[in-house]
Amino acid sequence: MSIEPDHRLTRRRLLRQGALGSAFLAAGPLLGSAPARAAVARPSAAITKGGTLKFARSVAPTQLDPANSIIAGDVYTLDKIFEPLFITSPAGELTPWLAESYTQSSDHLTWTFNLRPGVKFSDGTALSASDVVFSLKREAANVDGPLGFLDSAIKSVKASGTSRVVITLAEPWAPFLSDISVFANAIIPANFGGRSEKAFFAKPVGTGPFVLDSFTPDSNLALLPNPHYWQPGKPYLGGVQFNYVADDNQRVLQIQSGAADIIDSVPPANVAALKGVSGITVELFPAWEVDLLVFNEALPYFADRHVRRAITHAINREALVAATSFGTAKPGGSFFPPSLQYYDPNTPVLNYSLSSAKAELAQSKYPHGFATKLLISGGVEKWSEFAQIIQQSLAPLNIKVTIESLDHAAFESTFQAYNYDMFIDYAINDISDPDEMASFEVDYKGSGVKSYWSSYNNPAAISLVHQAQKEFDSAKRADLYAQIQTIVAGDAPYVPLDYPPYIYATGAKVHGFAVNPGGAYRLENVWLS
Amino acid sequence: MVIGVAAATFLLLHAIPGDPARQVLGLHASAAAIAALRHRWGLDSSLASQFGRYIGDVVTLKLGDSYVYGLPVTTIIAQRIGETAGLVAIATVIAVAITLPLAAIAASHRDRAADHAVRGVSVIGLGMPSFWLGIVLIEVFAVHLRLLPVGGSGSGLLGHLEALLLPSLTAALAIVPLLVRSLRVGMLDVLGADFVAAERANGLGELRVLVWHVARNALIPTLTLLGLNIAFLIGSTVIVENVFALNGLGSLLVSSISSRDFPMVQAITLVLAVSVVAINLATDLAAARLDPRIRLR
Repeated sequence: MSIEPDHRLTRRRLLRQGALGSAFLAAGPLLGSAPARAAVARPSAAITKGGTLKFARSVAPTQLDPANSIIAGDVYTLDKIFEPLFITSPAGELTPWLAESYTQSSDHLTWTFNLRPGVKFSDGTALSASDVVFSLKREAANVDGPLGFLDSAIKSVKASGTSRVVITLAEPWAPFLSDISVFANAIIPANFGGRSEKAFFAKPVGTGPFVLDSFTPDSNLALLPNPHYWQPGKPYLGGVQFNYVADDNQRVLQIQSGAADIIDSVPPANVAALKGVSGITVELFPAWEVDLLVFNEALPYFADRHVRRAITHAINREALVAATSFGTAKPGGSFFPPSLQYYDPNTPVLNYSLSSAKAELAQSKYPHGFATKLLISGGVEKWSEFAQIIQQSLAPLNIKVTIESLDHAAFESTFQAYNYDMFIDYAINDISDPDEMASFEVDYKGSGVKSYWSSYNNPAAISLVHQAQKEFDSAKRADLYAQIQTIVAGDAPYVPLDYPPYIYATGAKVHGFAVNPGGAYRLENVWLS
Repeated sequence: MVIGVAAATFLLLHAIPGDPARQVLGLHASAAAIAALRHRWGLDSSLASQFGRYIGDVVTLKLGDSYVYGLPVTTIIAQRIGETAGLVAIATVIAVAITLPLAAIAASHRDRAADHAVRGVSVIGLGMPSFWLGIVLIEVFAVHLRLLPVGGSGSGLLGHLEALLLPSLTAALAIVPLLVRSLRVGMLDVLGADFVAAERANGLGELRVLVWHVARNALIPTLTLLGLNIAFLIGSTVIVENVFALNGLGSLLVSSISSRDFPMVQAITLVLAVSVVAINLATDLAAARLDPRIRLR
């Protein structure tokens, strides 16, 4: 799960906006069987090259150092310039990228990566194993960085010749390939190509399809094609212009008027109308994201499992999604979203039932209800709609809910100080492996944040999370994660409210645009007719 | 006054919850990483010592670096101030251009249909919020008629001016009703004055009386009001820039508050406060020029 603020959007924010109440299209039980989201496909003749893609985004880049990045504006800009050894495809699958292949030792401790031949940085120098060693060591040492924790299993990184890299792990770590594919582990030239760190990131050099042309803080950023890109003939675009457009209406108007070729975070309320505009395509991409109602188990009411179960039963998630997402989101069940690997569709979810809710509450220490507060981030219509629906849903249980709405930064500081009764926020997975979400939401100590600030602490579930981290057999991992999802569904430390998708709108000229479930979109396949 | 604004901004920013270090480092950040960043920014010292240092910096014009961009705030503000200045300047011109004829028509047709129409429209105008009016103007002029861009800053001088037209009109329309009413009342006062009757008796044409003598005299209170309203215009850029995706100081202020970029918020507030003071001074000086009775002592 990553992080964020209001306009200084982090990835989480992007998700939130993209997903203001949204949904999931086609759900496959396991990642492998999840239908790949086809790129925006229009009947077309041959690919044409050139033209500048005008992309209006709700997020703005602030800087381009992968080691310092977590906000959406940074992450989804620098990934056009720098590339990691593996990437996650739009279908959510790990795909060899700068590494062409890899092998691992039978004890899972030594991983050898063979670099793709013929890869060059945008200044024309060839990619070498020393660049990979430098980049991965830099991120692994970046323990205080936003995603430094992902590399904690790495013990050493060594070059073997110029085209092979050997990584030794401190312990077997099943999510390792997913961790290596995160943008923070992107490859930069060794020693910043001989420049200072600051000078390098002001005019960065990477292996990605694009190079930085110009950057105006909090406003716009322009990219040009990398003439040395390793995929022949790509990128097709002659340039990319990212414009920061914070206002939802303004973005929608820009796509309607042709001022923008692509917009992100289409408000769900506008989806139907935009679909009716000829030449505009609205695309919903499944996301590794789930909106949660979180209980503070440090409080006596919510330490009572029956209370949490009663509240879960009392919330009609189908109706909530129908009322708020305009048909874009899917109602919540498991705390894993359906797009995530090892999601179990057979998780025994506590379904909506007022009689079950009343029966659970009757068994609790608070059979006659109580008064509590619900904290939300203000200014986002979706959260206030959710809060009101939850408030009304709990009234029949005589649980009186007061809604507290704070500006985003204040909201985050408040729940992160454990100073809340209940709060609503979204949780996302940054990598293709579900370990991140499982650890962050279930591992009381390992998460560093008491299981997503809920203080949920179930030793049986935590032990399963640890086992899954060291299990390399995918059938066994699927079973472990199914058990975790079952335990969490029964304990109800939080209510998974819905699974929102990423919503983008593209103009008639745009071809080949696709977003992966982590929210990243690669642009080397995009072309304009 | 500027120091007062600086102090108020500082205290309000530090009073609201929300940690800039957390905003930059994200959800996974360790407590140690957050503490280290807070120390680098001096946020771990006492509020009083931070305040003392800040006021010292303001007096010596050391505005610092943005937490989010790591660049001097003055550099970033310099990139954006032109947009906001252009917006306010064009809005002022538009506001005056609309106000003068409307007020003249209303005043010269006192209590007749034209007067009621102008006053009625003014009241309606007063009730229209900028964010809504902006969207309506975009729908009409940009989406349907396709005469002007829907938003963004445009490129080249002409593109820039074109892009500022709708936002300026939106901002101007917010203050026109007040200006029209003020100038109308001012003109009515002057129209009743003896010297106007004398001029009419001397055979001067009605249009000449109205434009040359009445408007000039009625302009003085309106000018003062205009000065105050330009301050309001500067404030309204926060909304208008957002609606039209303009990259000026107003939109930068909003995003900086969201990310708790303290140095940026403080610097922008200072720039806006200084502008307001400067504009009020300028309108007072202009009033003195128009009216020999007002003289600086």
